[in-house]
Amino acid sequence: MEIGALGWVVGVNLVIWTGIFLYLLRLGKRLREMEKGS
Amino acid sequence: MKTLLAWLLWLWISLVIVGAFFYAPIAEHFRVPGSSRIVFFHVPMSWASFLGFIAAAVWSGMYLARRNPRHDRKAAVAIQLGLLFGVLATVTGAMWARIEWGAWWNWDPRQTSMLVSLLFYAAYLALRQSIDEPERRARLAAAYALLGLVVTPFLFWIVPRITFSLHPDPVVNSSGKVEMAARIQHVLYASGLGHVALFFWIHNLQSRLQAVTERKSYLQE
Repeated sequence: MEIGALGWVVGVNLVIWTGIFLYLLRLGKRLREMEKGS
Repeated sequence: MKTLLAWLLWLWISLVIVGAFFYAPIAEHFRVPGSSRIVFFHVPMSWASFLGFIAAAVWSGMYLARRNPRHDRKAAVAIQLGLLFGVLATVTGAMWARIEWGAWWNWDPRQTSMLVSLLFYAAYLALRQSIDEPERRARLAAAYALLGLVVTPFLFWIVPRITFSLHPDPVVNSSGKVEMAARIQHVLYASGLGHVALFFWIHNLQSRLQAVTERKSYLQE
């Protein structure tokens, strides 16, 4: 199946967005731990 | 519950990304037709920036009324995020301008008014950095951010509408109408909502991070 140029652009955008999302999710988790600890 | 909401946001913005390329049609009257897709990211970034500056003014007003340091912290974080989204809107706009107008920077009224508002709020951060005493810093910063209630709508909404601009028509054009294909509107508004949700999520995280850091440094003193 041909992915095409647009498919690659969408794929790269989704990877970047997922990376930012997972970073924020992890930051939220660490913050909850820090708030419990302080 | 919060994690579920976060994943819903992930899904929402992922659908916006897919929709921007495979659902919305390419807009007409552009030199490089595919470049019109920038509207789905560049414009919502600018909206998020505007939201940050207005929210900061509201929290600053609340600080001046109640003198609660939490409101001061929220205002400062809203301005940091307003600047972040504003810089992203400016950079993506410059990239688009290079493709569509042939130059990165054209001193277009929208470009210029965004630059002026970024400088205005960068000065807010400089003001905060220059005052050591927390209560005085919060009071002066709040008074400065309140000015944003006049400055920001003027720069974001009025200047681009009273001057000739190279920019395509705003979403609501000068005759008060929205003349965009329905599918373009769907993705644009969905992206706007996604950006607003992302703004408040990052704002919440950053405010809490600052609160924890301040508490730690206070306990260490």
